[in-house]
Amino acid sequence: MLMPRPMKHVRLLTLTEDLPRASLTLAETESFHPDPRPPAESELVNLPGRPYRELFQQARSRLDKIARLAPLPRDPEIDTIRVVGAEELEALNRWLGEAWAEAFQFEEQLRHLDEAERSIREQESALANFANLNIDLRLLRTKTRFLDFFVGSVPRDNVRQLEGAVALAKHLLFTYMTTADHAHVIIVGPPGEDEAAQLGSVLNAAGFQALPIPQGLDSEPREIQRQIETRRSGLIEERAALRRQIATWAEAHQDRLVEAERTLALAEPFVTLDPSIRSAGYLACLCGWVPAREVANLETRLKETLTLPFQLDARSPRPDERALVPTVPGKSRLLAPFGILVQQYGIPQYGEIDPTPLFAVTFLLMFGMMFGDLGQGAVIALVAWYLRGKLGPFTVFGLLAGASSMAFGLLYGSVFGYEDILPALWMSPIHDPILMLKLALGWGVIFIITACLLGIYNRLVTGNLRGAVFGLHGAVNLLFYLAFLAGAYQLAQTGSFGAVPALVAVLSLIALALNQWSHLSGPTGEKVLIVAIETLDTVIVYLSNTLSFLRVAAFSLNHVALSSAIFTLANLMQTTGHWITIVLGNVFILVLEGGIVMIQVMRLEYYEGFSRYFSGDGHAFAPVRLRMARRAGT
Amino acid sequence: MSQAAAQAYLNTRVSVMSTRLFRPSELAELAGLGLDDLAARFGLASLIDEHVTVRAKSRAVEQALISLLLAELAILVRPMTAAERALIMAWARKYALFNLKTLIRGKLYDLDQQEIRQNLYDLPPHVRLPHQELFRAENVLELLRQLEQGPHVLIARQAREAYEQRREPFALEAAIDQRYYAGLARQVRQFHDASLQPLQHLVGTLLDREDVQCLMRFRFSYRLSPSETFYQLVPSFRLLHRDRLLELVELETFEQVIEALPAPLDALLAGASNLIEIQQRLHHYMADEARRVLALSASAVARALAYLILRESQFRALFALVQGHLLQLPTQLVGVAVGLAEPVCPLAPMTAKAA
Repeated sequence: MLMPRPMKHVRLLTLTEDLPRASLTLAETESFHPDPRPPAESELVNLPGRPYRELFQQARSRLDKIARLAPLPRDPEIDTIRVVGAEELEALNRWLGEAWAEAFQFEEQLRHLDEAERSIREQESALANFANLNIDLRLLRTKTRFLDFFVGSVPRDNVRQLEGAVALAKHLLFTYMTTADHAHVIIVGPPGEDEAAQLGSVLNAAGFQALPIPQGLDSEPREIQRQIETRRSGLIEERAALRRQIATWAEAHQDRLVEAERTLALAEPFVTLDPSIRSAGYLACLCGWVPAREVANLETRLKETLTLPFQLDARSPRPDERALVPTVPGKSRLLAPFGILVQQYGIPQYGEIDPTPLFAVTFLLMFGMMFGDLGQGAVIALVAWYLRGKLGPFTVFGLLAGASSMAFGLLYGSVFGYEDILPALWMSPIHDPILMLKLALGWGVIFIITACLLGIYNRLVTGNLRGAVFGLHGAVNLLFYLAFLAGAYQLAQTGSFGAVPALVAVLSLIALALNQWSHLSGPTGEKVLIVAIETLDTVIVYLSNTLSFLRVAAFSLNHVALSSAIFTLANLMQTTGHWITIVLGNVFILVLEGGIVMIQVMRLEYYEGFSRYFSGDGHAFAPVRLRMARRAGT
Repeated sequence: MSQAAAQAYLNTRVSVMSTRLFRPSELAELAGLGLDDLAARFGLASLIDEHVTVRAKSRAVEQALISLLLAELAILVRPMTAAERALIMAWARKYALFNLKTLIRGKLYDLDQQEIRQNLYDLPPHVRLPHQELFRAENVLELLRQLEQGPHVLIARQAREAYEQRREPFALEAAIDQRYYAGLARQVRQFHDASLQPLQHLVGTLLDREDVQCLMRFRFSYRLSPSETFYQLVPSFRLLHRDRLLELVELETFEQVIEALPAPLDALLAGASNLIEIQQRLHHYMADEARRVLALSASAVARALAYLILRESQFRALFALVQGHLLQLPTQLVGVAVGLAEPVCPLAPMTAKAA
């Protein structure tokens, strides 16, 4: 459970003709993680899947765009697994291009309707504004013998420049209203063909939108409003008609679009594998990582499906390839939520110990110890169960955290803060705080030593011997820590640090300092300063990290103290007030203290644990797979 | 890092980086070098060797120089405040817009995808457009609609409106350029501290240069009307402010415009008879002003921008030299391209009313 699943590097040599079929088989088995490194053989340089990928990407993009307008079922089933040839993909892409051209026209029509509606809103505002002007606005509608009028809106940013430009065409610009993005303007000037041509070009460049002046502008406001409402209703009808048209179009094309979705899903594995495929002539090479136990199955499937000869070689990863090998995540449902929390820090490098089980156990132990209460633990578990639909894999997390809290609640004899209902299987933390602090310290020492040992192991298995011995939290660091602990223990017992622990601690610090020195470059003074600070840091870090675990005891005491405070408050009230205070106090403890304890445990895990033994720079196993499930029984 | 420390750090960074700039005499020296020496000196040899065609070699060199410039920009923007960073990024956005224009032209002329891709610059994430999405657009309209969904909404909307009104690339590209320079000017106006004046000087010079070039080109090469020309210009903070541009666009000949330009532009451009000459003189003028800001200004952001402008200009000259060698162009022509020789253009002086 702690060790990574063994992986093999496989190389599939096949004929280029069989590549699409091979890709489908690899996708079906869901056990092949592509390796994009070019093969060692310099002859294998061609990228046979590149034109296919181009076609696929264009077709995929077209279908996605069409799906915005005509939604497609997410997971249409695939009846038969079959190879999608380049010709078929090309034909599909061509058809999708035509379909998108039609769909795009619909989209544009919808946008134009949006703009027309915006124009009506602006017209309404503008006409309301005109009502305050003391001029005959009917004149704005038509050209007069001596004056041309242009009424409309332009983007606000363009007004100033447009004002100058129309002035050069012997026109004047008046802004009579501004909205968030647009300014409403009247442009007036002498009529003339040259001026009109010049002005038309400038107005176009400035994004001028003419504002139609309604026929009944001089009539009753109610009449104008009616005209606008008529236009608005017209637009609503137009939109509804367009929606119907789109729906009809989508329905007419539905089957073909769903079929296109299927075809693209079948073509996708070859495209996904494209970066890992190299070829020379008729020979193609495809490399990747496969879980060791799946190699035989993969070979069998290839034999069943490929019609032409092929060769599958598998070998163990070389030491220099460790960083490239993907890590297969664990599949335990119980550990799944803890796995997600571990992934927030990083993914274990191949070969490293998977910290998830250890994380789960230590997390639950610390959470229970810090938040031990039978009643509150039960509430956490019940809430997690009640919200299981929303919490997904974190339901298990809530149930286990609640159970841990309940178990420690039994040990402490605490139920919703009451210490006198249930006899404690062990004792209440507040009865012996010093013992609690000692236990927490002991827990911290064991935690740190275990973390250092795991760190050393992880470096050894990844071939980093120097790191395992001299690196941060390596063997020499651990030696210093053990000497430091022994000295501290003797100091507490006898009042003397002891010569042996002191000698070991000093020697290990010297070894660390010398190692640090050998890695530094620069002036001697700077090196001395850095080495001195780093050495001092080692001492401080181990001391502070150990003391950091005192919080485990501190929170268990805090929990009792908070409950006492709530009981004191409740006892000041009458019966109703008493019970309201007890209930609200428990809710307060559950939400606030529960949240803080959760954060503190995560901090201890990430900072005191993971930072010592878990690099987190691995990458997850992501096998190529078919995007859609096959229909059952096929 | 405190504001004072960040300014000191940035100033020091710019000073250290500015030692990389060519000395004024160095360009002539570089022009005398052969391709191998030039490539070896700037670490371009492997790029030139590993590509087969002249086109690929040239493209690789250009891409390498742009990447280097933008890598330096990324270092400079790190200690900057949000407003400073926004200004520098607004300046660098031109590279994203080069790509946008390439995409637009590719879609307009229905070019092969591979060809379009080969002509796109590979830009770092903080500068680039969402290429993949744009690349998949089937036409110019869809491309601009997609671009409207991102931070380039103003440029994209203006460009789309221009395109919908007049379906030709000139209006579209002019709208993109105008928005770019207007955006740069807007970023400068966000400053209210000691950096405002040097930035107005530097960006004002940049706008002056662009305005003169665009005015001459639009009025006398494309024969646009005064109002159409004026609309495409962006008023400068420095010499060519709004009222002056309104006067200049109404003039009828090339010479009249030069005479009416404010000092020092009038003297600088006196006797220039064609656009290439004007472009070259303005280029030197811009470089001199940027050098002045770099040497004398106390504003770290103004010095950083001046450095980038100079660095870009020198990279262009370097690219022109490499290109000259690759295409085996005459020395005289390469000299004109890098500003070492006076352009000799057969074009007669132009007037707005010429046929």
